[in-house]
Amino acid sequence: MRKIRTLRSQLIAWLAVPLLVLWSLSTVVDYDVARRFVDLAYDRQLLEAALDIGRQVKVADNRIYVDLPEVALQMLQTREIDRLYYLVTGPENEFITGEPDLPALSDPTTDRVRYYDEEYRGQLIRAVAVRVPVQPGSARGAVMIHVAERLTIRADSARQLIFGMVLPQALLVFATALAVWYGVGRGLKPLASLRQEIESRSHRDLSALPEAQAPNEVQPLIRAMNDLLARLSAALASQQRFIADAAHQLRTPLAGIKTQTELALRNAQSDEVQATLRQLHTATEQTTRLVNQLLSLARAEPGARREHATEPLDLGALARNTTTEWVPRALERNIDLGFDGPDAAVKIDGNAFLLKELLNNVLDNAIRYTQRGGQVTVRVVPDTRTVKLAVEDTGPGIPARERERVFERFYRLLGGGSEGCGLGLAIVREIAQSHGAEITLDAGPNGVGTAVQIAFPRAT
Amino acid sequence: MRILIAEDDPVLADGLTRSLRQSDYAVDCVATGDQADHVLLTQNYDLVILDLGLPRVDGFEVLRRLRHRGSKVPVLILTARDGLDDRVRGLDLGADDYLTKPFDLPELEARVRALIRRGQSGGGSILAHGALQLDTAGRRATLNGVPLDLSARELGVLEVLMHRSGRVVNKEQLAEQLYGWDEEVGANAIEVYVHRLRRKLEPAGVVIRTIRGLGYLLEKPGHAEN
Repeated sequence: MRKIRTLRSQLIAWLAVPLLVLWSLSTVVDYDVARRFVDLAYDRQLLEAALDIGRQVKVADNRIYVDLPEVALQMLQTREIDRLYYLVTGPENEFITGEPDLPALSDPTTDRVRYYDEEYRGQLIRAVAVRVPVQPGSARGAVMIHVAERLTIRADSARQLIFGMVLPQALLVFATALAVWYGVGRGLKPLASLRQEIESRSHRDLSALPEAQAPNEVQPLIRAMNDLLARLSAALASQQRFIADAAHQLRTPLAGIKTQTELALRNAQSDEVQATLRQLHTATEQTTRLVNQLLSLARAEPGARREHATEPLDLGALARNTTTEWVPRALERNIDLGFDGPDAAVKIDGNAFLLKELLNNVLDNAIRYTQRGGQVTVRVVPDTRTVKLAVEDTGPGIPARERERVFERFYRLLGGGSEGCGLGLAIVREIAQSHGAEITLDAGPNGVGTAVQIAFPRAT
Repeated sequence: MRILIAEDDPVLADGLTRSLRQSDYAVDCVATGDQADHVLLTQNYDLVILDLGLPRVDGFEVLRRLRHRGSKVPVLILTARDGLDDRVRGLDLGADDYLTKPFDLPELEARVRALIRRGQSGGGSILAHGALQLDTAGRRATLNGVPLDLSARELGVLEVLMHRSGRVVNKEQLAEQLYGWDEEVGANAIEVYVHRLRRKLEPAGVVIRTIRGLGYLLEKPGHAEN
């Protein structure tokens, strides 16, 4: 979950940060451009004004004057935006009209038009100086017309312009981020469903992930994961094959030791040798049991699972037959082993071999730990949705706080005797889980002994 | 009685050979499949104890060739594998019985006895259970040599129990045995026969146990009475 969110915010970050930087840069550039256009436009207005004034320069009686009507003057001075300042000087730089203190171009050049920035009455101004010849062709020289305006209005205009451009851009950035956020979410949906698929899997399911609906970008990932899953399950299977092979290999020498020991027990004369042989025999039996359980565990584990296909089977019949096989063992220990289940078939989906192993292990424990004269009962109880397989004994029971731990491998109850190797219930749990069954451990009827209950889902 | 043991593990082969010799069987022992095949081609045996994991030619192949030649000698398979497939395959190829290693020696000896008996008897034989004897051909039973007064159905029930002495016999198996004698053999009828048998046998210490929910079991002779 967190990883996917990180991917999304990473994408957002990778998109939003450059967008914001670009946006800032573009604001600066835009402002510059806007300023330039504003300058251009305002400069042209200044020039227009100057040329207007220039057209009114008249010469009469050798006197130069500007014939500005009152209305025109007022228009210049009370413009909507800001007033204009002007100054007209004669060829000898003499004042003709306007604001006498308006800074004139310090070095009158020969250019016809010249723009310049100055300070006037404590404010920055932009001014244009236009050289207007007094009378074309005459040598009287030229009149300089200066028109100026404060710079602040240009900044205001540029600012207005930039706001008009930058705000929509900001909105665009924001909208892009939103679209990306949503789009990424949509785009990553296959990953989210992949995640769900993986999360909801049991640890024993190493089958390939579905590849079909995933977008092209995700497919290589799924393929790589499937490849890994395949290698993993192959490795697991080979490990289990190894354990199974090892266990099988051990069986023949064990059979040899066992046969020789039993033979020697028959023939041994001295009590001491008899006692030694009996110890040897017990050890052989324990080793045999351990080897068999290792084998069961290797078989029950996920990697070996595909070798054990499930099919609908009658749990009642399976439990009855398995219990029957244990009767001689139970009688040897003078334990009353019984079965209680319906005559009618009770179907579940399962693997007969593994289920038999499961019941064998539960029964082995029950018979091993129940004292002589005790009782062990196997029950099959069909319910609406489940079928319960229960083994109840009148043994010493398992303290409530130990009940979860006994399912761990090689866990043994203190004072439980030295016979068990602690693998039995681990096998039981492994097989129960692979059948989707729920296993509970309780005290037996009337609080005596142990009741192992395994609830299997009924076959549909 | 001649028995051939085909087993490549020397310790196990030696143990089997000596224990069976102590029971007065003549025992030959080979360690490879091709030897087993060769010996079986030239010699006659009453029983073959065949390990499946033999070197060179495996037990399945030895068995297949043996049956292919038409030999009916009883074969007891020994195997380190307890997978169902192996068992089914062995029995399909014509094995008569099957033991998974490691096994109890008395169990093996009991199977050997049963297989040799089966191989020999053309039909009936004498079943013995401690002081109890049942002549399956003569349809009569004796206790310490004294004939028992049993009905045909009681005898039928006793025969099944003795055949599977020490193991559970369920009511269906008993009903199957009695099928044909009676049109309908219900569970209740079987209970009645067992009850009558018990009354007649118990004074002599022969115990038929009821196994809750499973059936009946003829206790092995000499089993401690608790």
